[in-house]
Amino acid sequence: MTRLISVGVMWIILILLPWWLPMIGGYTALGSKVLIYAIATMGLNLVLGFTGGLSFGQAAYFGLGAYGAGMTLKYLALSTPLAILIGTLVGGLAATILGPLVMRRRGIYFAMITIAIGQLFYFVMVRWNNVTGGEDGLAGFGRQDIHLGPAVIPISSSGDAFYYLVLLGFTVAVAIMWVILQSPLGHTWVAIRENRRRMEFLGIRVERYVWAAFAIAGFITAFAGTLNAMLFNFTSPQDLHWILSGNFVIMIILGGMRSFFGPLIGVIIFVVAQDYLSSVTGNWMTFIGMIFVCIVLLFPRGVLGIFNRRAEAI
Amino acid sequence: MKKLIVPKGLDRRTVLKTGAALGATAVFSPPILTYAQGETPVKIGMHDPFTGTYAAEGESERRGALMALAEVNKKGGINGRKVELVTEDEGANAGIAAQKAHKLIEQDKVNFLMGAVSSATALSVNQVAHDKGVLYMVTGGHTDPVTGTQCHWTTFRICTTTYMLAAGLAGTLYKKFGGKWYFITPDYAFGHTLQGSYAKLLKGMGGTVLGNSLSPLGTTDYSSYLIKAQQSKPDVLVLLVDGQDLVNCMKQAAQFGLTKKFPIGGGLSELEVLRALPREAKLGWWTLEWYWDQPKTPHVKEWVAAYRKAYTDGSYPSARTWFGYAGLHAIALGANKAKSLESVKVAKALEGLELPPEVKLQPNKVYFRDFDHQLMSSEFPGEIIQDGKYPNVFKVADIVPGDKIALKDTGCKLDYPA
Repeated sequence: MTRLISVGVMWIILILLPWWLPMIGGYTALGSKVLIYAIATMGLNLVLGFTGGLSFGQAAYFGLGAYGAGMTLKYLALSTPLAILIGTLVGGLAATILGPLVMRRRGIYFAMITIAIGQLFYFVMVRWNNVTGGEDGLAGFGRQDIHLGPAVIPISSSGDAFYYLVLLGFTVAVAIMWVILQSPLGHTWVAIRENRRRMEFLGIRVERYVWAAFAIAGFITAFAGTLNAMLFNFTSPQDLHWILSGNFVIMIILGGMRSFFGPLIGVIIFVVAQDYLSSVTGNWMTFIGMIFVCIVLLFPRGVLGIFNRRAEAI
Repeated sequence: MKKLIVPKGLDRRTVLKTGAALGATAVFSPPILTYAQGETPVKIGMHDPFTGTYAAEGESERRGALMALAEVNKKGGINGRKVELVTEDEGANAGIAAQKAHKLIEQDKVNFLMGAVSSATALSVNQVAHDKGVLYMVTGGHTDPVTGTQCHWTTFRICTTTYMLAAGLAGTLYKKFGGKWYFITPDYAFGHTLQGSYAKLLKGMGGTVLGNSLSPLGTTDYSSYLIKAQQSKPDVLVLLVDGQDLVNCMKQAAQFGLTKKFPIGGGLSELEVLRALPREAKLGWWTLEWYWDQPKTPHVKEWVAAYRKAYTDGSYPSARTWFGYAGLHAIALGANKAKSLESVKVAKALEGLELPPEVKLQPNKVYFRDFDHQLMSSEFPGEIIQDGKYPNVFKVADIVPGDKIALKDTGCKLDYPA
């Protein structure tokens, strides 16, 4: 019951964001960015927090989604839904196809191979200059208004309308992930995280489940990537780089990787701190680092972990 | 398992402490200056990297802009209103730059945008500025599409194009040394583009490409490429490699004695880069886009002195300082000419606008082309002085006017609102 109320309150806050954020010195694009990164990190957390696989190359699928959407709008068709669909498929299928390479590895080797695959896509985008714009990034496309019968949703001109599209995407992605985590599949992931060997002895084909987690995370991150490309109508190889992958992991750890909404809290802390501190001081990275160290030392389960722990103690 | 790891009670206290720390950060907020009553200041938003690899270049641009800001405000500001500069750090990350551009427009309500060191940030902000209809003065960021295939009516550019960089140096090298050239090119997109421009220019002047070695990024052993280059007996050896690769390549070229046999040519260099290079790599012919030592050009000496008075860290103004300076002045000149703050009117006023001598700080005519919004500023090709002590690190051989070398057909179609 309390969970339902807190989720309800969260949604009301998110729906009203375009009104209250500018009043406290924010701007709507920042809200959109937070939600987009939240989708990506919550997707990644299916692998990282729930299945226990250290994926360090998730930005690759984020970036593939972004390039998929951007190139659809630029070269194929002027349609936002089509761009989202193609981008999500490109990133998701890449993760699905590469999953078998990843699923047998564990621990540090899992991290190494995911980072290597991630950098592979990064260099493809950097070097395939004619099509992707190389290091300069992909520009020259724009998100298109969505036509629903006679109604037109003006996302091309209105940042607020685009925010609501992102919020809708966030809601759908969250619902899908919630359903999956409540299903036997989700429970198997958690069991693999807790004791992989026991699951193997029980005759569970652990690798297939890891593959499924990796593939689903890929689709969800790629979906976030498509929205990210349309947020600024621009994408660059930095959206596939391992630094972004690392930032995703940091955001998840900040918020709490054992809790469902942990990554959202981590994204809010990271993105808002970055946005605010970097305007104030050139040494903003020091502060981000200090926040990270404090949280890891004081709240080893992330910020949301405190509440969960308290609930457990009671 | 579920026992608390942290002693009870610590939680709340740490939360309070964190709150206090967050409150303390608010103290860092930049002071808000007050201006003439009733008149809100005109705001110019500047994005640049003040952290990371390009921090030195970004800082130079900010310093230049601040110098121009003081001068503009002394002379009555823009349309009689004070001008304020809001700076934002983007760390040369294109996504962050676009985000900061939104912040500057939506939150700080700036009237105009300026900035950029890396090309990717120039392109991403180019997009945001156009979507929002805000005039954007690109200070750095050389890639051709900014005033070429991806040009917008909102965007103007101070620094020269990649093509102009190549063209400015190629002519000088050809005239001085001859037309048989050998290239060592880094094997990635930017290298290929630059080499392509050079080869086209060289053939256009009647020269020949003797060979082109593609070296992978991160090569440590350049001996095979250098031996091949030596056998072809070129008039000029052009090295387009960058960063640590360049240092390695230069070191080996010097060991082989090649640097004494024929001149080495490169691409763009910058005062900030020359200051940091090790002695082994301080070689050859390069181009700068502005140089502080121009004894015959009026106003330059006074300007350098003003810079040295304002910034007493021993540094000299670089091309980047001039980009920031000229960029902010250009916005003020355009807005004062248009007698308006509307981006469309200011953009129209800037087209064809010529920078006055005290702003252009170079001998040739410097103006914005009307069909692609590219500033026609000069290239300063010359030779690095190997044992020169900063700031005497470069000998300018020629000052090439921009409109002599810039492409006429850049693929730009300006998209003014109907």
